[in-house]
Amino acid sequence: MAWITKPSATQTIPTRAEPYLTAAMKATWERDLIPRYATRHGALMPILHEIQHAHRCVPYQAMIEIAGFLKISPAEVLDTVTFYEEYTTEKLGQCVIGICQSIACEVCGHKKLVDHVRSKLGIEPHETTDDGKFTLLTLECLGSCDTAPVALFNETLHENLTIEKVDELIDRARQESGGGGHH
Amino acid sequence: MPLTEAVLTKRIPTFPWGDPKNRRTVGIDQFMATGGYETLKKAISMQPTEIVNLVKDANLRGRGGAGFPAGLKWTFLPPPDGKTRYLCINCDEAEPGTFKDRLLVDFDPHLILEGIAIACYACQLDTAFFFIRGEYHHQAKVMQRAIDEAYAKGIFGGKGLLNGASNFKVECYLHRGAGAYICGEETGLLEAIEGKRGWPRIKPPFPAVKGLFGRPTIINNVETLAAVGPIVDKGVAWWKGCGCESSVGGPPSYGPKLMGVSGHVERPGVFECDLGIPLRKLVEDYCGGMRKGKKFKGAIAGGVSMGVLGPDQYDAEMDFDIGRKYDVLGLGTACPTVFDEDTDMVAVARNLARFFKNESCGQCTPCREGSGWMLKLIMKVERGEGTTKDLDLILEIAGSMGLTPGTTICGLADGNNFAVRTIVNKFRGEFEKRVKPVYVPVTVGAR
Ligand SMILES: Cc1cc2nc3c(=O)[nH]c(=O)nc-3n(C[C@H](O)[C@H](O)[C@H](O)COP(=O)(O)O)c2cc1C
Ligand code: SF4
Ligand code: FES
Repeated sequence: MAWITKPSATQTIPTRAEPYLTAAMKATWERDLIPRYATRHGALMPILHEIQHAHRCVPYQAMIEIAGFLKISPAEVLDTVTFYEEYTTEKLGQCVIGICQSIACEVCGHKKLVDHVRSKLGIEPHETTDDGKFTLLTLECLGSCDTAPVALFNETLHENLTIEKVDELIDRARQESGGGGHH
Repeated sequence: MPLTEAVLTKRIPTFPWGDPKNRRTVGIDQFMATGGYETLKKAISMQPTEIVNLVKDANLRGRGGAGFPAGLKWTFLPPPDGKTRYLCINCDEAEPGTFKDRLLVDFDPHLILEGIAIACYACQLDTAFFFIRGEYHHQAKVMQRAIDEAYAKGIFGGKGLLNGASNFKVECYLHRGAGAYICGEETGLLEAIEGKRGWPRIKPPFPAVKGLFGRPTIINNVETLAAVGPIVDKGVAWWKGCGCESSVGGPPSYGPKLMGVSGHVERPGVFECDLGIPLRKLVEDYCGGMRKGKKFKGAIAGGVSMGVLGPDQYDAEMDFDIGRKYDVLGLGTACPTVFDEDTDMVAVARNLARFFKNESCGQCTPCREGSGWMLKLIMKVERGEGTTKDLDLILEIAGSMGLTPGTTICGLADGNNFAVRTIVNKFRGEFEKRVKPVYVPVTVGAR
């Protein structure tokens, strides 16, 4: 995902007092991850996956903390974060709808799904709804071309999609994120 | 000779041997109850070089796209020096149209792990990284569970292979990608495991000499490694009995092969076939024919990088020589996407061009700039605003990018080149109908 620069020259990196990396996380990584890789830098991707998963983005402060932990430059962390689609500097919605737009899905009707979600949620691909509930992404081949068209709803792949199925999935996601009190 | 039994799909019900409805992930107990890890036992009773020679004699060609002989690649390794050497398993599978490796991971992960263990022993590689694309969330969990099971049974880990039956120790780790097609390119993949952006490296040095973390490394596709067990088990003569000889005097295409068919066919899916099966037979006999009885118009040969087969190439033999005979880049992943008569080929070209533009890593100028430029031109044609000159320009840009003309670091640009060029060439009439002709002024009377 593109690195989005802030328009203001006075913009500062948002920080919080509580660190993103806890002592427990660091200890686990030190035990389980670091020994696998010949350099500390090698552990960067699994660590970023964990942070992205927990925060639905990789906050700048977390990048700086990770750089400190891995003894690499924050620029190297930013470089990796911005290269890969799955790491984002902007916070994603609670439910990320990633519709495949590659060739098998296109010739099997992905466009009507994208258009449907656009009009239903009022967002364009790569945007998030104002309430932070949904992000719409168009992704390249998800490796399920025989059941095209397909989409990921967060980490779950849904196959042979129709508009009705997409509606159902969105409604279900809305209920789950509705803040109904139980987690 | 036709394949008489399921090999890679032995435990994965697949037409014509089984019904996909009955597919379940095979756990380690079921795997071992059906002969699993017996081949590893056989392998460790052999000398490592014996296994390398076996794979070399079998002429096992890589299943990841390039068709490079695996045994030959393995001989490029320097002799062991006691320090870490790596096997990287390529499960990036991000080539549009391709979904064959997923079948193995989803349902028979231990078949892959057995191949990995044998390859590690044969090549004396002590650390294996299973690189799996980020979007394969479920598959990463299945694979991690299988690796954990294998450790619990002592296949990998501190005691040595097979609970110390061999004193050669192998560690096996899963490494998840994060959504970048270029990490399927073998050196982009190495960069990703090192935690960096996936920029392919200039070769040489080749990974066998200087690969992951600067150490000798072998990179193989999931299906390639899954085929190693059956070769060790059943032997070279059996392997060579499947598949076909080259029809154009090149190296042969032996063995069974997973082929994934998508697009406008009645029953898309992954099938295990002999290499060399004509595309028509694959569609008619395995996929129930074209969807709704429509006519065949074209197909992507095997992942979008390979380019398309035209309407008169329905009988193309799906072997590693397909490229030389039918003007595509190659067999690729052997996963064709099939188009029926109603398909708009200009839209197909736009879709593929968009893919390559999105996935170019950006370090080579012809690929970074050319991919965007071609997409713009194709979109212009799609809107009906293009000219015949634009078509020529598209072909010119395409033809100037890639390893073949020698202008880029990796093969992604060749994929872009072939995808666009074969569509424009083989469906030129369809493009010409969408553009305005440009009249070249001719001076009358001169000479
Ligand atoms: C842009 C690009 C993407 C690739 N993607 C994959 C992939 O997803 N999976 C794969 O096995 N090989 C892929 N390859 C081929 C690898 O570079 C490499 O040849 C292969 O993994 C070697 O394994 P094999 O010899 O067993 O086929 C890709 C190559 C290029 C140029
Ligand atoms: S050819 Fe394209 S994808 Fe490959 S290294 Fe060059 S810029 Fe990157
Ligand atoms: S093209 Fe959509 S999953 Fe492959």
